[in-house]
Amino acid sequence: MLPLSYALRNLFRDKSRLIQTVGGSALVVLLIMAATALNGGMAGVLSASGSPRNAILIGTGSEESIQRSEVAAQLGGIAEAGIPGVLSALGTPAASTEIHYMSFLEAKDGTRGQGLFRGVTLRALLVHPEVRLLEGTFPGAGEVMVGRLAWRKLGIAEEKLQVGSVVKLDGSEMRISGIFAAPGTVMESEVWAVLGDLYMLAQRDTASCVVLRMEEAKDFSEVELFSQQRLDLELTALRESDYYSALGAFYRPLRVMTWITAGLVAAGAIFGGFNTLYAAFASRIRELATLQAIGFGRGAVFFSLVQESVIACLAGTLLASVIALVFLDGRTIPFSIGAFTVSISPQVAIAGLGTGILLGVLGAVPPAIRCLKPSLPKALRS
Amino acid sequence: MMISCREITKSYSKGSHLVTPLENLSLEVPRGEFLALMGPSGSGKTTLLNLISGIDTPTSGDLEIDGENIAKFPRKQLTKWRARKVGYIFQLYHLIPVLTALENVELPLLITSMSRKERRRKAEAALEVVGLSDRSHHTPSELSGGQEQRVAIARALVADPALLVADEPTGDLDRESATRILELLRSLARDHEKTIVMVTHDARAAAAADRTLHLEKGKLLTEDPNLVSI
Repeated sequence: MLPLSYALRNLFRDKSRLIQTVGGSALVVLLIMAATALNGGMAGVLSASGSPRNAILIGTGSEESIQRSEVAAQLGGIAEAGIPGVLSALGTPAASTEIHYMSFLEAKDGTRGQGLFRGVTLRALLVHPEVRLLEGTFPGAGEVMVGRLAWRKLGIAEEKLQVGSVVKLDGSEMRISGIFAAPGTVMESEVWAVLGDLYMLAQRDTASCVVLRMEEAKDFSEVELFSQQRLDLELTALRESDYYSALGAFYRPLRVMTWITAGLVAAGAIFGGFNTLYAAFASRIRELATLQAIGFGRGAVFFSLVQESVIACLAGTLLASVIALVFLDGRTIPFSIGAFTVSISPQVAIAGLGTGILLGVLGAVPPAIRCLKPSLPKALRS
Repeated sequence: MMISCREITKSYSKGSHLVTPLENLSLEVPRGEFLALMGPSGSGKTTLLNLISGIDTPTSGDLEIDGENIAKFPRKQLTKWRARKVGYIFQLYHLIPVLTALENVELPLLITSMSRKERRRKAEAALEVVGLSDRSHHTPSELSGGQEQRVAIARALVADPALLVADEPTGDLDRESATRILELLRSLARDHEKTIVMVTHDARAAAAADRTLHLEKGKLLTEDPNLVSI
């Protein structure tokens, strides 16, 4: 085997080529890391948002969007009385009647943004136990509590959404009573108001859904049976986890596009790498032949060339990882139903590392084969 | 006998033509001889050198080097054989520019199972033989042409091969450096019993050899050991 120092020192023979290889690979690796982190973040928030123990009763035909659903305002009471297996906390059934309403919120300075508003009662905390108040109190009439990432989804400065601030919802002034967290779920980017206020603001006399927390996930069959028996209520029962999985499928084309874009850029970079590395190797054909003449096998020389390319691409991977950690990690990204935090997790780092190694190998193999192909006598004369 | 070529022919296709740079050539070189090959361009000198050194294989004929018929060796076996048996000296030195003189000399030993310490010791000893111990940490760009060729000779010597082949080793050097290189090659043949086959256009260089063979159009013409005296 040729020493690693040979591969390392060859990298610095042409600094502009080295910069091209490192820069190109850094760009591709960064793109792949970003795509992995974004897709993972979105998929993660959607899967964390639904609990398999939660069942949602929505109006038939609105399976793809709770916001379009209409159910009777009294459905909560009917459901908790008629469905066995609903969790009960200190005698209060975990059945939350909710309105999901997409509208605009306006801050005092006039900045406004669209977000999801959820009309709830205190029972919402029984069915969504991940919700924790960080500051303030649960809202009363004329009040809202905002998720800690709502500012990002709404596009309103975080300081405008502090406890005590006054905001406008559909023209009505409301005071922010609290800020809540619901780690890793879409609820963190929502604004919650009391159910009664949303009936008025949304000008509706029906709710969007009833969310039931069951004692066990298998109790969902009871909810399903209820929806099939009470044909008069025109209901569909969904597992909350299934609902958010279906939403995930809705975003699949977006994720596919992200991967296609990343793939195309990677393919472009690999072809660019072919040219750069071919030029680098071709200028050394005689040297490569000399190494073979003095007894190094073609395989050893080939391995050294690939090693050289992989080292350059790993340097690019390191650069990309630093950029990703500094500029991507912890950033909040809004999407249509919420926001998620990008995390440069070990999986993302592994994806970046794998891409870097793959780029190094794929970029070097064809030029190395081509430059080692000429016969030794011919290569020695070149 | 160190080298024994029996009716070796080398031919290859070039487009639709069959080119035969060497035809039915027979030659014997005893161990420790310093042989010069001369002839005009295209006479087949370098082809013969490439065959003798295992860089290329003959189309037909037998080629026995140090008791092994290398004519039918597959490529991998030939590569291993070269590493053990042959030291190659090129006209343009062919040193690896990113490695120091010492590292260049050490290269052929990396193929062996020798320890790092032993490799270093042997490489330093080879540099001492060519009188370049004080330049061991210089890269080729920091050496003169003559010094580079001496490093190349040290590299050819370091694995202690029985055969040294040199393709125009003084072709790119000034007269003073060329004389030093030729003296060095002579002493290697005389004192270290290396068999040396050298291709040259230069009659003065050929005069340093024990014997000179002339080739023309792929055939051996004459032998003239004292064609020109230095």
